[in-house]
Amino acid sequence: MISTAVTGRRIPPWTYTVLGTAVILATYLYLLIDRPSSLAEGGQGSSAALIALGGYLVGSVLVVAGATAKLPPSTVAMMPVAIAINVVIGQLVNVLGLPLFLDSIGTVIVGVLAGSAAGAATGTLANIIWGLTISPASLPFAVAAAAIGALAGLFARAGAFRRLWTALPAGLLTGVVAGMISAPIAAFVFGGAGASAGRTALNATFQAFGNSLLGATTLSGLISDPLDKLVSFGIAFVILAALPARFRERSPFVRKYAVFGRRKAVLEAGGS
Amino acid sequence: MAFYQAGDSRVHRLNPVTKLVFALVLIIAAFAINVVWWPAVLWLVLLPAVAASGVFRPFMSRTLRYFIPFIALIFLAQGLFYPEGGPVLFHLGPLSVKVNGLLFAAQTALRLLVLIDAFLFLLLTTHPGLLMSALTERGMPPNISYVVSATLQIIPTFRARAQGILQAQRARGLDTGGGGPIRRTRSLVPLVAPLVLGSLTDVEERAVAMEARAFGAPGRRTSLAEIPDSAAQKAARWLMWAFAAATLVANALGVVS
Repeated sequence: MISTAVTGRRIPPWTYTVLGTAVILATYLYLLIDRPSSLAEGGQGSSAALIALGGYLVGSVLVVAGATAKLPPSTVAMMPVAIAINVVIGQLVNVLGLPLFLDSIGTVIVGVLAGSAAGAATGTLANIIWGLTISPASLPFAVAAAAIGALAGLFARAGAFRRLWTALPAGLLTGVVAGMISAPIAAFVFGGAGASAGRTALNATFQAFGNSLLGATTLSGLISDPLDKLVSFGIAFVILAALPARFRERSPFVRKYAVFGRRKAVLEAGGS
Repeated sequence: MAFYQAGDSRVHRLNPVTKLVFALVLIIAAFAINVVWWPAVLWLVLLPAVAASGVFRPFMSRTLRYFIPFIALIFLAQGLFYPEGGPVLFHLGPLSVKVNGLLFAAQTALRLLVLIDAFLFLLLTTHPGLLMSALTERGMPPNISYVVSATLQIIPTFRARAQGILQAQRARGLDTGGGGPIRRTRSLVPLVAPLVLGSLTDVEERAVAMEARAFGAPGRRTSLAEIPDSAAQKAARWLMWAFAAATLVANALGVVS
């Protein structure tokens, strides 16, 4: 069983994270390369939905188990607020009738401020909360939410959040990954019929042009997700820039990798 | 906001883990057996449990709300545009309705019915906080339990705060009504900025309070409230896991297809 005990642990937490990521990637590659037929025609190919659900579930559980094992209380305290930001902005955008989701801004903020592990955990838990309160149909997509948080952390570590013009392409790339990784769930579990009529029509159009089920959901994911994540990263960048520097630089992750660039001392200390 | 319907039925009093295992096993079984009508059988197994817990009406109304649009969409999409070959039932102008497309749509819709309704049953009869405590008792990191429970409490206050900000900005003449997408996006900024910045800076205080109460301390905690469990439920959980394993074996060996 998983415990937060730091002492006496034989397996370090990052092995869970690495293993979970490997399971998720293996699931995706298997579904992509083996191209299982979508209908019950016998053989192992017909269990594509089961493999997609099972592989992603096992992978996300491993990633979250590894990621939450050693989070400091300051990061844990930030996560509920970030998830509330996701849910409330996601619903606000819905009310205003914008053609985007924008339900991962909080996840991106945690990924940038506290690193990939915290970002992945926030994404997954945000998805679980969305499932607990708004629609259980979102639960199978937890893995995409985890990927968004993890990638936001990786890009922040590489310094993409120092300037807006590097943060936006990072969002675009994250959207590409999120769209691709959620495509098997949309194809095999939901049969290409998303929650919205627009997305379903998009899928049906791609199918009509001769794409396979997985191909059609991948293409429609690649149309809607990158734009959504680009805007989300942009908004997260603006929010982060507006936060007091005292708050941002508090996180050890931000200081270690100079996520927002090196800061010059305001006062020149004499003799140092 | 959450699905939970307070009640005092026998189902409500079951250990949350038993209900969680029931939901997971139903979902595994629905996806493991490749017979089109099989998920419908599982759904019929679910119904008496729902009726016994006294949440039949919210259960059915939510199921209908989720499924009427979904069923319409999937039959339209896969009935008309199913990408793989197979016998054609009839032609509709330039489109053709394929037998395999309809079968696929029926199977996906029934499986999704089980997936969503199994969770709906769990959520309608189980308070999320209780589910989290039960899972923490079983070794889930307390971090996760804290985040889920705290978020469920924060969202209502967050929403109240958002409403307050919305009304304050409207009183100052902010137009949140019409306009194109760009204008509506621009109207979002004066709403979101105070909401997000205010609540993120509150985090500092909470982190200090948590640290002062030994939040990150290692070791296993004891629980204030014990969640009742019984030998019968334990046996039932093992039986359900065995059933799920049997369906998975049947799937791997290709017995039923």
